[in-house]
Amino acid sequence: MTQTQSPWRYVGIAVVLLLFALPPIWLFLSSLKSQSEIFQWPPSLWPQAPTLQSYYDTFSRANFLLYFQNSAIVAVLSAVLAVTISVMAGYALAKFRFKGDTVFFLLIMSALMVPLQIVLIPVFLVLRDLGLLNTLAGLIIAPAATPSGVFLMRQYILTIPDSLLEAARIDKTPEWRILLRIIVPLALPAIGTLLAFNLVYRWNDYLWPFLIITEQEKWTVQLALANSVGRFGIDWPRLLSISVLSVLPMLVMFIALQKTLMNGLMAGAAKE
Amino acid sequence: MATPAQTQPTPKRWSLGRLGRVAWPYLLLFPTVALLFIFTIYPLLQGILMSFFTRGIVVVPQVESTHPVFIGLDNYTHLLGDKNFQVALLKTIGFVVVAVPLQLAVSLALAVLLAPQSRVNAFVRTIVFFPSMISMLIVGVIWAWLFGRNSGLINYVLSLFGIDAVPWLEDELLAQIAVVIVWVWGGAGFNMMVLIAGLTAIPNDLYEAAAIDNTSKWRQFTRITVPLLQPSIVVVVVLGIIEAFKVYELVVSLTTGGPGRATVYLIQNIYETAFRTVNQAGAAAAQSVVLFVILMVLTILQLRFARKRS
Repeated sequence: MTQTQSPWRYVGIAVVLLLFALPPIWLFLSSLKSQSEIFQWPPSLWPQAPTLQSYYDTFSRANFLLYFQNSAIVAVLSAVLAVTISVMAGYALAKFRFKGDTVFFLLIMSALMVPLQIVLIPVFLVLRDLGLLNTLAGLIIAPAATPSGVFLMRQYILTIPDSLLEAARIDKTPEWRILLRIIVPLALPAIGTLLAFNLVYRWNDYLWPFLIITEQEKWTVQLALANSVGRFGIDWPRLLSISVLSVLPMLVMFIALQKTLMNGLMAGAAKE
Repeated sequence: MATPAQTQPTPKRWSLGRLGRVAWPYLLLFPTVALLFIFTIYPLLQGILMSFFTRGIVVVPQVESTHPVFIGLDNYTHLLGDKNFQVALLKTIGFVVVAVPLQLAVSLALAVLLAPQSRVNAFVRTIVFFPSMISMLIVGVIWAWLFGRNSGLINYVLSLFGIDAVPWLEDELLAQIAVVIVWVWGGAGFNMMVLIAGLTAIPNDLYEAAAIDNTSKWRQFTRITVPLLQPSIVVVVVLGIIEAFKVYELVVSLTTGGPGRATVYLIQNIYETAFRTVNQAGAAAAQSVVLFVILMVLTILQLRFARKRS
């Protein structure tokens, strides 16, 4: 692309910055206002007396730490599980010729056409029959198989030269060692990207918890959030503080892994 | 020269190893395939089957009315007279038709603006991408707060220009527009990145040649950028259509489907049919099948399109 230094470009960038940065910042600033200041009209742009009262209330009343802990357990374990089985399946599809390999590949990919949204009731029944309703285990296991994850790993492992594997096989290296000592270290960049994306998806996920969990002690952050909306009107101070708190881990991860996430996305997109 | 006695053990060990080798890829695939079968493929078949029955979600042996009864295509023919379903379906299609092109236009503008390598651009890209990292529920919360009639920042800014408070989320049409705006805002960063990846693959000399010929920026955009970017544009449009048909989570925190049923889209209607009305699991399944067919046709069209291109 050609560089243009026209002043309009800077105006455009300023507008974009305003439109995209302001809404989350406004949420954060509002969460620091006192109960009375929050509904003050005209609104104060900057909190006049910044207070953590809403946060304090959220922690003391709403059992929030427990929801936070549930979300963390689910996000970490299900992301690790999803990545593990994606690496395994991706490796099988990338480096082995066996009976039914194309069928398996197409079968896994066709699952992309069946989002959870259209199988809600039957999945609910399966979870019930397996005794997974109202369990964190259900939240960890049920969404673990991801066609897109398998596809990403397959594409990446395809680029690992066959000669490395053949050399290891001539040396009579056991197959599980080839996977752990050759494939996994070489696929680490893709594994990192996939892990990061899975953590984000699972932390932010609303539909699976919504389907699986009804007991309040098993709520995730997103369920707590959805349940502060509606029914008895919106408790804004509480909702704003829960929102900020639930975004925090993603913000920290995003700052730490920004390059991995954004470049991983670019690499994935370039392959389409 | 080996005698038979000496070679005999070798093929035996070799064949054991071979057995392991043959089984190995299947073992690697097993967890993924098993989970997909249990939580996707079997439920899909079960759902299709369910759409030919009337039944409760949970079949209780003691409660006669929850028992499955085969009714053929009745669930589907009933959809033809089901006002809630039809309105939700039309609203969803309307949403797709408005939101997807708008999202393409916005993310394309962002991509062209922010593609050149510079520190400022890298920073702004990060800010624009950030909404993709947070859940659509929270995106909904952020904007519900901004759109608030007597508490929101948007109406405050408008009031500075002497404009009366706009009932963003209380008016049927405005609420639908709000859902479109917020959906586009939440997904623009992701799509912008996809398009920037495509833009960086366009050779710079094309623009240089055009500049020498005094071709206007707009002509460069329509004659070079858009045609060469087409594969990425197709990705954004197709993924956008599929995502837009599933719009729901954002609505939960932004409008909860209101005012009235103004922003109840297909997924919410399916959910409410299944879980809020009695013994309508079959009807909800039929609605799911309709959505599945729409998504399947779109996916197949996309594959066709992608194949033709390459």
